[in-house]
Amino acid sequence: MLQLFQMGARSLWQHRTRTLLLGAAIAAVSALLIALTSLSTGMRTTMLVSATTLSTGHLNVAGFYKVTSGQSAPVVTDYRKLMDVVKDAVPEIDYLTERGRGWAKIISDTGSMQVGLAGVDISKEAGFKKVVTALSGNLDDLAKPGAIVIFEEQAKKLEVKVGDRLTISAATPRGTSNTIDVTVVAIGQNIGMMSNWNTFMNGTSLRELYQLNDDTAGAIHVYLKDINQVKTVQARLRKVLAEKGYGVMDDDPRAFWMKFQSVNREDWTGQKIDVTTWEDEISFVKWTVDGLTGLAVMVTIVLLVIIGVGIMNVMWITIRERTREIGTLRAIGMQRARVLGMFVIEGFLLGLAGTVSGTALGFAFSAALNAAHAKVPVAAQLFLMTDHLVMLPTVAWAVFAVLFITGVITAVSLVPSFLAARMKPITAMSHIG
Amino acid sequence: MGSIVSIRDVVKEYSLGKVVVPALRGVSLEVEKGEFISIAGPSGSGKTTMLNLIGCVDTATRGVVEVAGQDTGKLTERKLTALRLDTIGFIFQSFNLVSVLTVFQNVEFPLLLQRKLNGAQRKARVMQLLEQVGLATHAKHRPNELSGGQRQRVAVARALVTEPQIVLADEPTANLDSVTGQAIIDLMKSLNQQKGTTFIFSTHDYKVMQHANAVVRLADGKLQGRETGEAAVAAALKGMSVAPVAQAAP
Ligand SMILES: Nc1ncnc2c1ncn2[C@@H]1O[C@H](COP(=O)(O)OP(=O)(O)OP(=O)(O)O)[C@@H](O)[C@H]1O
Ligand SMILES: [Mg+2]
Repeated sequence: MLQLFQMGARSLWQHRTRTLLLGAAIAAVSALLIALTSLSTGMRTTMLVSATTLSTGHLNVAGFYKVTSGQSAPVVTDYRKLMDVVKDAVPEIDYLTERGRGWAKIISDTGSMQVGLAGVDISKEAGFKKVVTALSGNLDDLAKPGAIVIFEEQAKKLEVKVGDRLTISAATPRGTSNTIDVTVVAIGQNIGMMSNWNTFMNGTSLRELYQLNDDTAGAIHVYLKDINQVKTVQARLRKVLAEKGYGVMDDDPRAFWMKFQSVNREDWTGQKIDVTTWEDEISFVKWTVDGLTGLAVMVTIVLLVIIGVGIMNVMWITIRERTREIGTLRAIGMQRARVLGMFVIEGFLLGLAGTVSGTALGFAFSAALNAAHAKVPVAAQLFLMTDHLVMLPTVAWAVFAVLFITGVITAVSLVPSFLAARMKPITAMSHIG
Repeated sequence: MGSIVSIRDVVKEYSLGKVVVPALRGVSLEVEKGEFISIAGPSGSGKTTMLNLIGCVDTATRGVVEVAGQDTGKLTERKLTALRLDTIGFIFQSFNLVSVLTVFQNVEFPLLLQRKLNGAQRKARVMQLLEQVGLATHAKHRPNELSGGQRQRVAVARALVTEPQIVLADEPTANLDSVTGQAIIDLMKSLNQQKGTTFIFSTHDYKVMQHANAVVRLADGKLQGRETGEAAVAAALKGMSVAPVAQAAP
């Protein structure tokens, strides 16, 4: 075995120009694979983090309160007790926050627009400041009563800057209309389409606007350590809440603002709790993520196939060229299996060296791109929810690249060497070309 | 004393598309252990074909080829390969050195396959042989850096390195000057005498034939008979016998 390794390595060394070229091609494919998957993983992760921080938790524990059966408000009463129940039931929690929710008209001296309002307690928003960058002002000032944070694009439309005052007008759950004056404390950098209709204001002020008491929240955002666990946690939460005596709404994978009509038609009053996932609340993000993943997978497959076939051809020719050599080795007494073994080891060594260096190259390239803070085209920013490229190389993809490509190279070298080793030695020895 | 090589009624046909080319048409030959036997015959008479069959790198169309007491037609590919490695040393007409390996590595290769000797032992054995064929200074060269004669000597060293019972040599001195050729013959002859190695070689060279204890003559795929080396040479010198390069006798 060791000896076959020696022979394989020796042969690679003797053909070093070709080894180098083939190795470089294999390294290039691996690097490309790593770069592509890093890009796709990076963008997907960024998107998810942005989207789930801005307008939904990984999971949302929310619901509707109905004073009469025909009139619903998207709030949960006595939310602190509910939070405790959630904390107890979900050990996978990273952190959780409470948010107020609203949809209102926001008015400046020169213009107005319809926006979503998120009432936040900035001191408890662990992810918020990682996702939102203040172009001017200070995000922490959201702690002050009457504070609002809007985004670049919105500020441009409303023609306001930090320190300017805005008026917000909204319909309260009781059916009346109410207004409140707020001050812009910070203007955030745009985060794709999510910054078109989202604003953040002081949570207490939001309650004032909607005339809610201190115990009432819009939704509890639950952030898990691993976002992939949402489905199981969601199912568990529904069960636990029902057991604790909460009225729990049926699972309905739609955003909360699409549910008013059906909720209003239902014949109940008081509080009902709904547990939704981020996918329910912002399905367009899920589509984008899925689309992006699909695209990346497709590009990767096409690339692998094209370049794989190329490498296969070269390997094939290389080994056919060595038919005479194989014939000679067989003639002086090398067993078929060992001839095969030698070529397989050669392919394996070549593949391993190529993929390992290519993967390292891919990681280095990703790191360099991250450091360079390369800008994303404006059109793409809308979907990607970031203004610069984010590469996130993963160990899983690295392992896949090394194993898979090495495996393919090894397998590819097996076929022609098998054919050559199967020939009569004299036929192989007199093989031309 | 049994035959170490026994060929009986062997026919070898090559098919080129629809045309069948007969290379051997019913050849029988017994070679005793320790013989130093020469196959003579004009070009195309079937010398290489016969050696290929004895060397187990090709198979007969009909007939029996026994090597070292084994019917090669009945052996598995595995056993045939083992026979080639352990029992036979083959010096090919076109040398067939492995171009990517150095002279040393080429000669060492069969020893690597055998796994009987350690590195130091292999080195000693290979260097001794290279010394004997006069190529010790070229151990690190590649075949393509050598002359035809030098390559031939590497092929000789490779065939002898495992000290096989049977050495087959296809025109082993064809590319050598008379002095070097003589050195190679002396080496083969001394192995033949000291170790009892059986040598079967094809040649046009009378000097080589002289050393043979028997000369068999091939013409047009048939064996013409067997004579002693001296007789063959004497006959050739008198111009009576069929010279190896002349046309076949009727
Ligand atoms: N692979 C092959 N395919 C077809 N015919 C072949 C093949 N090898 C040899 N022959 C034919 O078989 C016959 C014998 O060839 P062989 O090589 O045994 O002759 P030889 O005696 O060794 O000649 P030389 O002295 O030139 O080496 C020739 O007619 C040759 O054309
Ligand atoms: Mg010949």
